[in-house]
Amino acid sequence: MSAEPEPEPAADPAEEGGAPPEMPPAAPGPSGGRRLNLRDWRVTATAAAVVVAVTAGVVAITATGHHGGDRADPAASATPAYTGLPHTAIDVSPSTCGKGWGANGKPHTGTQVFDLHNSGASATEVYLTDPKTGKFYAEVEGLAPGTVREMPVELGSGTYAFECQQEDTDSVTGPTVTVPGNVPQGPASRPVTVHDLIPPTLDYQKWIRARMTELSADTGRLKKDIDGGDLAAARRDWLAGHLVYERMGAAYDTFGDADGVINGTVQLDVDPAHAAGFTGFHAIEYGLWHGRSAASLRGQAATLDNAARKLQKDWATQQMDPANMGLRAHEIIENSEQFELTARTDYGSGTNLATAAANIDGSREILDELAPLLKDRDPGLARLQATLDDAQAYLRTFDKGGTWTPVGKLTRAQREKVDAYFGDMLEQLAPVAAICDVRRTT
Amino acid sequence: MTSDTPGREHHGDLGRRGFLRGAAVGVGAVGAVAGGATALTAATASASAPAAPKAAAAPFHGAHQAGITQPVQSASVTVSFDVTAADRRELTELLHTLTERARFLTTGGTPPTVGITDSPSDSGTLGPQVPADGLTATVGVGASLFDGRYGLADRKPLRLTTMPEFPDDDLQPAWCHGDLSLQLSAPHTDTVLHALRDIARHTRGGLQVRWRMDGFSSPSRPSGTPRNHLGFKDGTANPDVADPAVANRLLWAGGGGEPAWTAGGSYQVVRLIRMLVEFWDRVSITEQERMFGRNRDTGAPLDGVHEFDTPKFAQDPMGDVIPLDSHIRMANPRTAATDDSRILRRAYNYDRGMDSNGNLDMGLVFVCYQQDVERQFAAVQKRLAGEPLVDYVAPFGGGYFFALPGVKDRSDWYGSALLA
Ligand code: HEM
Repeated sequence: MSAEPEPEPAADPAEEGGAPPEMPPAAPGPSGGRRLNLRDWRVTATAAAVVVAVTAGVVAITATGHHGGDRADPAASATPAYTGLPHTAIDVSPSTCGKGWGANGKPHTGTQVFDLHNSGASATEVYLTDPKTGKFYAEVEGLAPGTVREMPVELGSGTYAFECQQEDTDSVTGPTVTVPGNVPQGPASRPVTVHDLIPPTLDYQKWIRARMTELSADTGRLKKDIDGGDLAAARRDWLAGHLVYERMGAAYDTFGDADGVINGTVQLDVDPAHAAGFTGFHAIEYGLWHGRSAASLRGQAATLDNAARKLQKDWATQQMDPANMGLRAHEIIENSEQFELTARTDYGSGTNLATAAANIDGSREILDELAPLLKDRDPGLARLQATLDDAQAYLRTFDKGGTWTPVGKLTRAQREKVDAYFGDMLEQLAPVAAICDVRRTT
Repeated sequence: MTSDTPGREHHGDLGRRGFLRGAAVGVGAVGAVAGGATALTAATASASAPAAPKAAAAPFHGAHQAGITQPVQSASVTVSFDVTAADRRELTELLHTLTERARFLTTGGTPPTVGITDSPSDSGTLGPQVPADGLTATVGVGASLFDGRYGLADRKPLRLTTMPEFPDDDLQPAWCHGDLSLQLSAPHTDTVLHALRDIARHTRGGLQVRWRMDGFSSPSRPSGTPRNHLGFKDGTANPDVADPAVANRLLWAGGGGEPAWTAGGSYQVVRLIRMLVEFWDRVSITEQERMFGRNRDTGAPLDGVHEFDTPKFAQDPMGDVIPLDSHIRMANPRTAATDDSRILRRAYNYDRGMDSNGNLDMGLVFVCYQQDVERQFAAVQKRLAGEPLVDYVAPFGGGYFFALPGVKDRSDWYGSALLA
């Protein structure tokens, strides 16, 4: 996820580094379920544009009056955000990309700031790259015309060039500058493009298709149990089905309203027993663990089963947004921490830890799909994968033959260990999302 | 950051678990932000030297940790952690990381850039560059760290135990004890919270917060030592630990059969004490003052005129002026026999919303340091048993910790001698 979203609303997703023409993005919109999709790429790209105009420009945008074509030199009036560090003024229009570095100043290692001035006519992305390796060392997204923004960097010895990607224009790479010495270079990564993400996304969609087959088999079984009055079997099959659904975390976004029908929850001030429109796994969970009769749950079981079948059928024509893959690997576990480790989504079964373990499956699956891309981009990948495995193994110790320890029954030491695993996983997943953020490279 | 940044640890392959975020250290740029830091430094309250107008930032490196002899500051957070590191190796890595974070945060500088490889390395709540802002970090270890988990059983400081329940206590398990204590203090709340957030972020796999209490110290009203929620100046009478002879006799541990690694450390006692302020406000001023033995307006002992006048208990053997059961008289009878039980107090006020009965939930984060927790804090606490004040206060949490020796230089780290 980039800190600086595009300055213009994402009218055309392809422009935003989104889905290429052969793979239109899924319909945007809230999933209807509990997933907040706080970091939905398409949503933030649009909504945050306003924020950029108001605040994110930090210094320069304010100084020049927003996005307009004000060509007065803003550097003169802007207060630098970074003080006490060497600053170098760099021009980043398509015709002058990278001008100002090397020629007049002495390139040097260490912490320093480039004051990027967009003298071009439209907004631009600016990357500091190593032209030899193609790695990106720093980026500024959506630099509005006529504005200056600071790019703090810690430079090691090596070759660098600025790359300017102005809207609707081919990318321009400025002159290569050599920074002398033998100071090791800082963190960098080759960018990930939409094209890189298409194969893993297609593979992941295939994986989801297989889960959907499982899901509708499970909801069918659950319906049969309830229709036949076997509540013990229903509780068992409920868990199996719910966990299958919870493994599909990265796809919810694509499900549209179906997620709410299948896995919705109710607000805290609403009595689940009398909540209008409360359907799906959690509604059935509430009944199964609150002594409701089989007969009273038949309608709910049919609704769930129908929804699962419809989802499976619709999936054939659904397409996931490749740009979301890295984010999802991370967000699944954020949601797990937020909703499962707090037992917010517990409607009586006390199986939040099982759900959390299933969520880890979901995150792992995406990571496995992304592994070829991450292998040489995220040095922490193997460690992260090991952490997922360890965390999941620990969660599974709370499964006693299908009965899981409810979150609230964990001892303090157990609780702390679970929290430590999740905190650890999340800190390691943040780089995955950052690295897989799509950067337009042409 | 470049891999030769001084002080940066190369964790390499930690084995089984990741458990700590890559502890990249920002570029030390104290000079770069010194202007900002100076501008932000405000007058600080004072425990041991109340008249001192502005405290110079305590250096991070030294024989002792910062935050012990320095005056209390406006904002603080006191946290107790449990260590979830799997083994001694991970504990060692954890303490390295903790040291690096504390060193960076208390020194200030430009947070490392991460390019496109990660979310930003700093929360940004103090702006693009982190001012030191007088931040101090004080780290202690609890008795539970010396259980079997890390092979440290034979290294426990001699007097370090689990905090016992004293007669007037009403301890809540969720608010007691812990493997590791951390107190952060600074002139501003944002500085303290920024540091807490940063440290938590870098240590999630190895540390989990057990309890946390935020505290503040007020400005002088109208002069002298800041007041607590009961309206009395709190922190007036403290041993003069600026005198090395006093500090070596009362404050710093080491010698006397203590493990060698403890030299330069100090026993830290944290007591979370609820104050029944509504009840207190319904007590007559005479009774309030006789409970403490001091005048509420000036802070002077009841036999004196000025805050720092010394009470003359010997001249008032029957307690006609300063009652025999007053807080100051019981806490410190000022006799030769009780002289070595004196403690260095650094209390903060806390305020955390409302109680279930509609009363204000306020109190004291009582913190004191001493050479020997039995000979000093415990002795004072026992003398105070049953004092009239106990009707208005209720200790419910806290713990005994041992504040580690200082981090000596850039290559040293918290607990280096303990884990050597
Ligand atoms: C809510 C609880 C407490 C309150 C409101 C409180 C308040 C005060 C006040 C107003 C003073 C006089 C001013 C000063 O010298 O700082 C004082 C002194 C003192 N208090 Fe406390 N205190 C509390 C708890 C404790 C505890 C738990 C201890 C130790 C076990 C303690 C030990 C002392 C000592 C040693 C002095 C200095 C006596 C002297 O040397 O004259 N206090 N306290």
